[in-house]
Amino acid sequence: MMILFGVFTLLMLIGTPIAFCLGVASFATVLYLGLPPLVIFQRLNSGMSVFSLLAIPFFIYAGDLMVRGGIAQKIVAFAASLVGHIRGGLGQVNIVTATLFGGISGSAVAEAAAVGGLMIPQMKARGYGADYAVNVTSMAALIALMLPPSHNMIIYSISAGGKISIADLFTAGIVPGLLYAAALMVTAYFVARSRGYPTEVFPGFARVGRLLLISTPGLLLIAIIFGGVRSGVFTATESSCIAVLYALAVTVFVYRQMSWQDFVHATFGAVRTTAMVLLIIGMAAAFSWLMAFLKVPAALIDWMNTISENPIIVLLLINVLMLFLGTFMDMGPTIIICTPIFLPVALAYGVDPVHFGVIMILNFGIGLNTPPVGAVQFVACAVGKITVWEAMRSIWPFYLAGLIVLGLVTYVPALSLWLPGVFKG
Amino acid sequence: MSTRLVKTGRALSGLSTLSLWLAGIGLVMMTAIVAWQVFCRYVLNDSPSWTEPGAVMLMSWFIFLGAAVGVRENYHLGFDVLLYVIPKGGKKWLRMISDFVALAFGFGMIWYGVELVRLTWDTILPSLHISGGWNYVPLVAGGVLISLFALERIVLRLAGEPIDELLDEMPPAEVAAELDTANVKA
Amino acid sequence: MAGAASAQTVLRSSDTHPDGYPTVEAVEYFGELVKERTAGRYAVEVYHSAQLGEEKDTIEQVRSGVIELNRVSMAPFNGTVKESIVPALPYLFRSEEHMHKVMDGAIGDQIKTAFEGAGLVVLAYYDAGSRSFYNKQKPITSVADMKGLKFRVIQSDIFVDMVAALGANATPMPYGEVYSAIETGVIDGAENNFPSYDTAKHFEVAKNFSLDEHTILPEVFVMNKAAFAKLTPEDQEIFKQAAKDSVAKQRELWAAKVSESRAKVEAAGAKISTPDKQGFIDAMKPVYEKHVTDPVLKKMVEDVRAVQ
Ligand code: NA
Ligand code: NA
Repeated sequence: MMILFGVFTLLMLIGTPIAFCLGVASFATVLYLGLPPLVIFQRLNSGMSVFSLLAIPFFIYAGDLMVRGGIAQKIVAFAASLVGHIRGGLGQVNIVTATLFGGISGSAVAEAAAVGGLMIPQMKARGYGADYAVNVTSMAALIALMLPPSHNMIIYSISAGGKISIADLFTAGIVPGLLYAAALMVTAYFVARSRGYPTEVFPGFARVGRLLLISTPGLLLIAIIFGGVRSGVFTATESSCIAVLYALAVTVFVYRQMSWQDFVHATFGAVRTTAMVLLIIGMAAAFSWLMAFLKVPAALIDWMNTISENPIIVLLLINVLMLFLGTFMDMGPTIIICTPIFLPVALAYGVDPVHFGVIMILNFGIGLNTPPVGAVQFVACAVGKITVWEAMRSIWPFYLAGLIVLGLVTYVPALSLWLPGVFKG
Repeated sequence: MSTRLVKTGRALSGLSTLSLWLAGIGLVMMTAIVAWQVFCRYVLNDSPSWTEPGAVMLMSWFIFLGAAVGVRENYHLGFDVLLYVIPKGGKKWLRMISDFVALAFGFGMIWYGVELVRLTWDTILPSLHISGGWNYVPLVAGGVLISLFALERIVLRLAGEPIDELLDEMPPAEVAAELDTANVKA
Repeated sequence: MAGAASAQTVLRSSDTHPDGYPTVEAVEYFGELVKERTAGRYAVEVYHSAQLGEEKDTIEQVRSGVIELNRVSMAPFNGTVKESIVPALPYLFRSEEHMHKVMDGAIGDQIKTAFEGAGLVVLAYYDAGSRSFYNKQKPITSVADMKGLKFRVIQSDIFVDMVAALGANATPMPYGEVYSAIETGVIDGAENNFPSYDTAKHFEVAKNFSLDEHTILPEVFVMNKAAFAKLTPEDQEIFKQAAKDSVAKQRELWAAKVSESRAKVEAAGAKISTPDKQGFIDAMKPVYEKHVTDPVLKKMVEDVRAVQ
């Protein structure tokens, strides 16, 4: 166990890509244990050869197509007309855009790139601090994880042995996702007021209506995905493929903004991002195979039980541990590694697995916005051309909002479980 | 730089572009296959049994090809904090270690990938009716490309090429892939 | 070997079923017997709930010696060990008793020998009951009722062809998506035994269980051949006997599990019907014509049918 975690930490510190840190640490451990090293490469291969994982390339691909083909821009224009006149106007626009876009995209990183790429330069030009623009963007991007579609929820379902309904997970994220968006809007309002940021002029309902009409083809994707899954036309995994086809159809036939070159670029972008993400997921499968082999989860449960038997304390402890892990690791592999460890504990204390999935996603989502490993924050900072440390100086009010929502979601199960219950009738 | 190095570099660059194109075609084909699966089941009420394993096999091809390109283009996600604080000379050696780690792992992928192919060659995959060994062929191919691209970086660095200086001017690796998307039509 | 006698060797075994499942309990019981009878020189550790991977993966692990033991179903071997196809053929076994007689006899031994070609020693055949269809639409009373229904089946050519021969539609799908898929109507149902119908909670969404018993497919408990060869002849005998003793225990646990699950799903509102089996048996002709072409398999099928 020492070798597994030691080699991993050492390589990570010297800047080796995380995928290879996980792979080589597992490799070294297997050599130490005297097991045939072949098992590492088998786990790598079968860890990524899972049909449900197809949702990752597809949702990322759909997101890239929507940005290249103008869907995202139209949503920004609509959001700007709708909430631009509220205090901190463009900040509010950013959050509403993220909410709308989050309902059609599942990747927070892609969302930070898409919405940030459009909003941050505008915000800076209108006199907003770059740190404010970056923090609003990176925190709002997490909405994509909570609202359906969310491929991370699919990863969670796979990691839990595939026995948790993906449709239920998708539905369960809606209320917490909207609550989180509302909390961010309130925070953005107060921060903007204290900094004296401007508002935009309300363009009138006619223009709001016209922009809504223009962005409707893109926004309809929410209804198509959600309606298609709920009515049994396709499965949650297959819905990601439908999202690609729909995004392509809208950008090519309705908006006519997709050139051959745009298409090739979007495809290559999706290949690069998903190859990076899925290689890590494959390596994490090898890593977590060794953790199971070495019986790490059982040891952790025993240790937890020695600390407290009170479910409220145990949940708090799990939250703190997950926030800590999320700080240092990327979302996909953390879900794969942590689900088999924490889910049995949560179940033992009577937490519903769907509810626990929402808690986990929000936890690791916040971790995407914390250095040293925070892909969403890095993207937002790169787009805003500031360093992570500059962003960190003023992110605290937004972290606070995130943590308050996390607390509510953890201790009020109804926020997650009410809506799936309504659908089940 | 010697002409041989230049020629090899050009060949590897071509190989990397080819891999990226093949991976992109794989992604498009995957989309078509899953769409076909939905169409057959929902509209024709007759599901083909090859679509699911077929799409999964395509996915492992495009992941390993794309991951190898990632080694060459240096877009794999890493923890870069130490790289920003230590002096240039030390940085070079840390990057050298990382490249050797990738090279070693690439060799492992080839060696044990071949062993896995041999172990499973006598099995037949249901629905696809091909040898189970094909499951592991992408692993071997990815290993070959990752080793080649890691070796290229090591050789260039030893030859005194300024590959690390170029890296320092680039945005953090994990950002590069998405940044390209962010900068369009803003 | 004498030097190693004082140290304990831990053998690792995989199982995809959860803790407490009859196969998991049986292998644990096997481990206790081995430990007792070798005076603690060998112990067995069971990794349940697919901790080490799905069956296809753990089969590769046991063949390559990463783990020593494995409890798996027979279907994943159909592409590797052709003799394993025979017990997977639909409606071949007339009853569980028939299956027990066949597998405990000469045909069971013939299959065991065939597994050695894949580097595995079969220690035991365990019960996995009979598999039947269940769906959300209607009770199945005859083959005609199957027409047009979509069933999720395991990735096996025989199963796909069997469903097609019954006029239904075989839909491949990851096991984990089956519950949602039945619920939302992507598919109409699936097929399995009572304990899995119960534990996967499929009875909540597909209430019509039709006891057609298309396969009565036993599972295998295997050991890596090289690891087995390393044992002294006396220890080999101990292992074989312990496995044999665990079979009796497993069959008992299995029967109890089936009645428990059946009672539970019935109490929860599942409707169990018994269709006219002859029509199903008659429909299997094309499946046998396609999959039983090899003379060895043909002979085995005849032998199985001859066992009374
Ligand atoms: Na989303
Ligand atoms: Na982080």
